[in-house]
Amino acid sequence: MTTLTRQDLNFGQVVADLLCEFLEVAVHLILFVREVYPSGIFTKRQKYNVPVQMSCHPELNQYIQDTLHCVKPLIEKNDAEKVAVVIMDKEQHPVERFVFEISQPPLLSVSSDTLLTHVEQLLRAFLLKISVCDAVLNSNPPGCSFTVLVHTREAATRNMEKVQVIKDFPWIVADEQEVHMPEPRLVPLKTMTSDIVKMQLYVEERAQKT
Amino acid sequence: MDELYLDNIDEYVNDHNKIVTYKWLSLTLGVHVNTAKQMLFHYLDHKRKESSAPLHATYLVTGKLVENGNTCHKVSVVREEQLEDFKSKMSLTVSVHVYSVQKAALKDSGPLYIVDYDAVKDNLNSCSRYSAIKCADAVPVSPADVRRASDAPDPHQNKATSVNGHGNLTSKPASKLPPKGIMGMFASKAAPKNQDPGKEIKVEQKEDTTGDVSKSKPAAKSNPLSNFFGSQATKRSEKTMKEEVTSSSSVEMKPATSPPEKKVKETQPKEAKVKETQPKEAKQEARRCPASDSEEEMVDKKKRRRIKKPQSDSSDNDDVIPDSPKQQEMRKLPPTPERLLKEKIVSQPNECKRRKRRRVMKSRTFMDEEGCMVTEKGYESESYSESEDHTQSSKPANVPAKAVMSKREDEKKAQKKMSATTNKGTKQASIMGFFQKK
Repeated sequence: MTTLTRQDLNFGQVVADLLCEFLEVAVHLILFVREVYPSGIFTKRQKYNVPVQMSCHPELNQYIQDTLHCVKPLIEKNDAEKVAVVIMDKEQHPVERFVFEISQPPLLSVSSDTLLTHVEQLLRAFLLKISVCDAVLNSNPPGCSFTVLVHTREAATRNMEKVQVIKDFPWIVADEQEVHMPEPRLVPLKTMTSDIVKMQLYVEERAQKT
Repeated sequence: MDELYLDNIDEYVNDHNKIVTYKWLSLTLGVHVNTAKQMLFHYLDHKRKESSAPLHATYLVTGKLVENGNTCHKVSVVREEQLEDFKSKMSLTVSVHVYSVQKAALKDSGPLYIVDYDAVKDNLNSCSRYSAIKCADAVPVSPADVRRASDAPDPHQNKATSVNGHGNLTSKPASKLPPKGIMGMFASKAAPKNQDPGKEIKVEQKEDTTGDVSKSKPAAKSNPLSNFFGSQATKRSEKTMKEEVTSSSSVEMKPATSPPEKKVKETQPKEAKVKETQPKEAKQEARRCPASDSEEEMVDKKKRRRIKKPQSDSSDNDDVIPDSPKQQEMRKLPPTPERLLKEKIVSQPNECKRRKRRRVMKSRTFMDEEGCMVTEKGYESESYSESEDHTQSSKPANVPAKAVMSKREDEKKAQKKMSATTNKGTKQASIMGFFQKK
């Protein structure tokens, strides 16, 4: 097994892997906490040394994995500005949005945190904030569904359309009605700045949900 | 105590929307845990009287419970709504105190653990500074003692390290045995004397003995594992919020989480994480098997040699070694080699029906460095089923290098070169004559 030196580390890939793993856990946790799906399908799993809720439904898991698999190359090239988990009501209007704003920190460097324990701690804090977010949010109407929207910088989506990262899993430009939320109320949840990634999580929710 | 703490807790709960557990509060404010519990109680009382924003609380209930005719000592974290109900079920309630206060109605107990995890991690060296659990014998070891202990390998250290990282399922129950013994010791003592400090002692003792970051909650939760070892008066700690056994589910996750951990450390960008570990494990098994010198394996090899002896004499070693890893792969066994070997011994009689790999003389034609066409005959392994084949070619002339079997090949090359000329026992025409003419 070759040991990678610091020069070999491909930052884009490290950050993308890290973020995609985190986003998968976060999406599952959001679905659990916001009761998008019945809590019976969720089971306790472990991530970053703490218990988290993850769904057992194979199609749901596959969908989330495929989605993040397609997002990964965008994060690698630093093209993804925001990844939003949007919860929509029965009429496909967004009710609330969990927005993860991702950016490169001003001083991108390989720090002393080569084992990424500090980053892990920050991500744990994110998970904790998601778990208690229902104290600051209104409850959602029944029968909600979710989708993942990615806001990219510039014209990165042109490349995505040309190259289908996963077969039969196309990405399309979102409709205006799926994106627009009238009078959103912004609730910031958590911010983190580390040497390799900068991320912010906030929730935009519709003033009147039902 | 002064009233500032009420404002502090208010700030944490309402402004920061934090979950304030008594342990976190004691470490943050630097007070004894019992003081922290009282603070939380007063705060709750105060806020309820003011009837301001809704607050939720969880309580820790300790007491005796009669279940299925067995009396057990139960420690549970319960939601406020379930508190009275739970207390009524217990035959004797030893202690009740506030566990946490938060604004959000928690859906499961996970966040409580996360809060304490980070708090303890930050104060790792002094996490029991404010605890009520004291043991006169638990004294930090002096460096001289450490050096003495390191000469004789300490089994307890091994247990601690195996619990710390991604230890095997087999080692986990073993590592929980010492705490379970201590737990038994406490459980047998008079229960009425078991006040809060008593409970704290047990919980913190576990932390001291295992000596790692793992918290009282997972340590207590793994007691269902120690139930395998059976004991009537075992303490069972349950969370009534969720009934899962975190330890078993977390152990299941270990194969899946350990590759991501490895990835972070080694930064190998791969997508099929779980699939990666399986071929790795298979390769490790394969490498381990030729290299290991356990008795069972030798017996295995001897047995196989006996079966094959009439057919071929000295190439059986090569046949035996490639067979064993392939058999393992075909059977898709769990990773430990010992278990694999035991199963092999058990299934010896069925061997004749298995598919095996054998080394077959095959010729390869290629261009060498000088640009000349070279034809080489060499042994390559190929799968066959034993019933089909009774004739086997034996001595290889050239041995193609294979990573799995490279060790054996090195040993055998010397043998083969010596006895190459004497190989006449095959049905194929020997090619050695070709080389000897040179």
